[in-house]
Amino acid sequence: MRKKIAINPVTRISGFMEIQADIEDNRVVDAKTEGLMFRGFEKMLKGRNPFDAVYFTQRICGICSTAHSIASTLALEDAMGVIPSEQGRYLRDILHGCEFLQNHIRHFYQYTIPDFVKLPEDYPLLKTELNDFRLPKEKNDRLVKDYFDSLELSRSSHEMLAVLGGKAPHNHGIFVGGITTQATTDKIIKIKSILHSVYQFINDRMIPDVYTIAEYYGDYFYMGRGYANLLSFGCFNSYKNLGTLYVNPLVYTGGKISVFNPDNITEETDYAWYKDRQDTDKSVEADPEADMSKAQAYSWVKAPRYNNLPFETGPLARLWLSGEYRNGISTMDRTIARVLEARKIASIVNILLENLIPDVSLQKEYSIPESAVGKGLIDTTRGALGHWLKINNQVISFYQIITPSAWNLSTRSNNKKGTAEQALTGTPVKDINNPVELGRTVRSFDPCISCATHIYTGGKHINTIQVVP
Amino acid sequence: MDTYNVSTTCPEYKARQNIAANLLETINTKSRQGCLKKRNLVWLELTGCSGNIISLLDGSNPDFLYLISKMTHFIYNNSLSANEGQKAMEQLFSILGSDYILAVEGAVATKNNGLYNIIGRLNGKPITALEAVKTLGEKAAFVIAVGACATHGGVSAARPNPAECVSVQSVLNRKVIKLPGCPCHPDWFMGTLAHILLYGEPELDSRDRPVLFYSTLIHDRCPRRSYFDKGIFAQKLGDKTCMFKLGCRGPVTRTDCPIRQWNEYVNWPIEDDTPCIGCAQFGFPDAMEPFISYNTTREVKR
Repeated sequence: MRKKIAINPVTRISGFMEIQADIEDNRVVDAKTEGLMFRGFEKMLKGRNPFDAVYFTQRICGICSTAHSIASTLALEDAMGVIPSEQGRYLRDILHGCEFLQNHIRHFYQYTIPDFVKLPEDYPLLKTELNDFRLPKEKNDRLVKDYFDSLELSRSSHEMLAVLGGKAPHNHGIFVGGITTQATTDKIIKIKSILHSVYQFINDRMIPDVYTIAEYYGDYFYMGRGYANLLSFGCFNSYKNLGTLYVNPLVYTGGKISVFNPDNITEETDYAWYKDRQDTDKSVEADPEADMSKAQAYSWVKAPRYNNLPFETGPLARLWLSGEYRNGISTMDRTIARVLEARKIASIVNILLENLIPDVSLQKEYSIPESAVGKGLIDTTRGALGHWLKINNQVISFYQIITPSAWNLSTRSNNKKGTAEQALTGTPVKDINNPVELGRTVRSFDPCISCATHIYTGGKHINTIQVVP
Repeated sequence: MDTYNVSTTCPEYKARQNIAANLLETINTKSRQGCLKKRNLVWLELTGCSGNIISLLDGSNPDFLYLISKMTHFIYNNSLSANEGQKAMEQLFSILGSDYILAVEGAVATKNNGLYNIIGRLNGKPITALEAVKTLGEKAAFVIAVGACATHGGVSAARPNPAECVSVQSVLNRKVIKLPGCPCHPDWFMGTLAHILLYGEPELDSRDRPVLFYSTLIHDRCPRRSYFDKGIFAQKLGDKTCMFKLGCRGPVTRTDCPIRQWNEYVNWPIEDDTPCIGCAQFGFPDAMEPFISYNTTREVKR
């Protein structure tokens, strides 16, 4: 018998989300992921000072705000014709790396661990009716200890970010040209010393912890595969002297890797709460209203596509595309990849620190062009993030953001489910009254619904080619 | 220093000694009587970026672990609760009927009767942020609005305010303690909560901000104030002098950022050679823009 279930809220993510699943014979036969918050950043940005986008767009997300400061800065630099110096790029990427560390530590311990580890019941917040806890007591206790100990390391990661970024979340440091302040030796060594502790923790505890979970939850290597279409815009890449420290812009589909081409991105809204557009010619300049009365719609998240296909983006995609992890594509592989990536990022930040020249000033008095277009595409904590903007009369006339979670948690389009929806389909559910399997798979994507559901452009088949010069 | 001289020359010396002794006695008595007992805390996330709970996790001494172990029974938060779905919602609403403190981050989306933000499903019925904050807000012992979106709409309500977001106060007919900031500094929250636990409501200004944190303009305590007084102004970000002409909102923003600083007290925007953008002042962001402009004394094209 077919039965419908809903999980809402999906806690331990950023933002608000519902999972709906149709279950037949203890197996998911259909699934929907729904984003349930809407703000409308694109509409808000219109008419604002272009420089303000750097600080304004950070407010999209409290756990990955640095990502938006980077993408908006790249889009501005593109529009203004500013090429940052290599030192500027190193410094900016160091701040970005600190955010990866903060995010991945928090996501693994505070968001993921409660799915697999029984936490002490004397904390009401950590009490759970979830079941299927399989770790023997001694190992469970070790991971509980690390859940609490990790709080200090994620906090320290934000401290590193603030040393050069002013504060976190919502840093002040990342800006056109690199960062605002100069990296003096006291600051460099402060970051280096904090990074040392963070690296030790990841290497000695976080990585063993994730493999402990993998040992007892081996069935999750066979769940949550999805389409196995992987996408990265690249990050920590193409430095003049250092080359690519992580991953170049690449896609993987049908078992083959090819070079990413931004012109192949489209975005559709068949099943999202936006009015369908009629005139598809200048779709990016359209500004249709949100429409919650649309019969088939079920989410604020739109449907970005690459070559008309849904794609997965994030740590597993990056490690796969850079050739560093090829064990498989599944819920557990995704979770392991995020943890392994934390160590990778810590090493990269260290390399960048060692290549800094202290006291370099990167700022000058920039001016906004009368009119311009720009784009900023970069891989961030959760995956591929794109900002596109247009400037007219020296103010923002158009802004578009496609977030990693919009890729991963997208609605369906052209009868093809979104990536996480596809990953959920086929999942065996042991206890229909306590379907722990679904939350585990969805959290493996590290959803950020705050990010995914802010956008106000609508319409069918928005082709982002048109905002690119 | 010779205390004998102080006590004979200062007329207030004895009175001050008495005040200190009395305060200490009060604390001792209260803690003996068990007045420092933990209270229930619910932290609701509404329409926003969930950055205030992240900022809270960035706090140290007291840190998050101390908060949930020694200060509160922390009942519910969307980012951190181990439970999910129906069970999580039951846990949240089980608090009704008990004594609890409600912290709220995010604005309240009012468009379509609140349907622009659904925070969960209870017994099959979707619960809007609007409904949740009204239900929980009315019965709470204290309501603390944490961060700009909760205190006055913040970025969620930036023009043209597509989700028709409003402050927590706008939907509650009761006192709401306001901790503006984008995000709120963890100490501003912890200090306010500690005051409630130890002594009840802290002293608030006319806009319900704790005087302890929000009484003084950034400009009045800015380490670069002497440059302002001498008329030495920064030309660009990264300069070490007064950033007034780059659009610094320190002269209109009341917080203790200059002396407190952020993230383990390691830095703050002005020390990072950028202007304050007034994130902790009512009116942020619209009234505080442009955030960056290279010379505010020149004509700025709008």
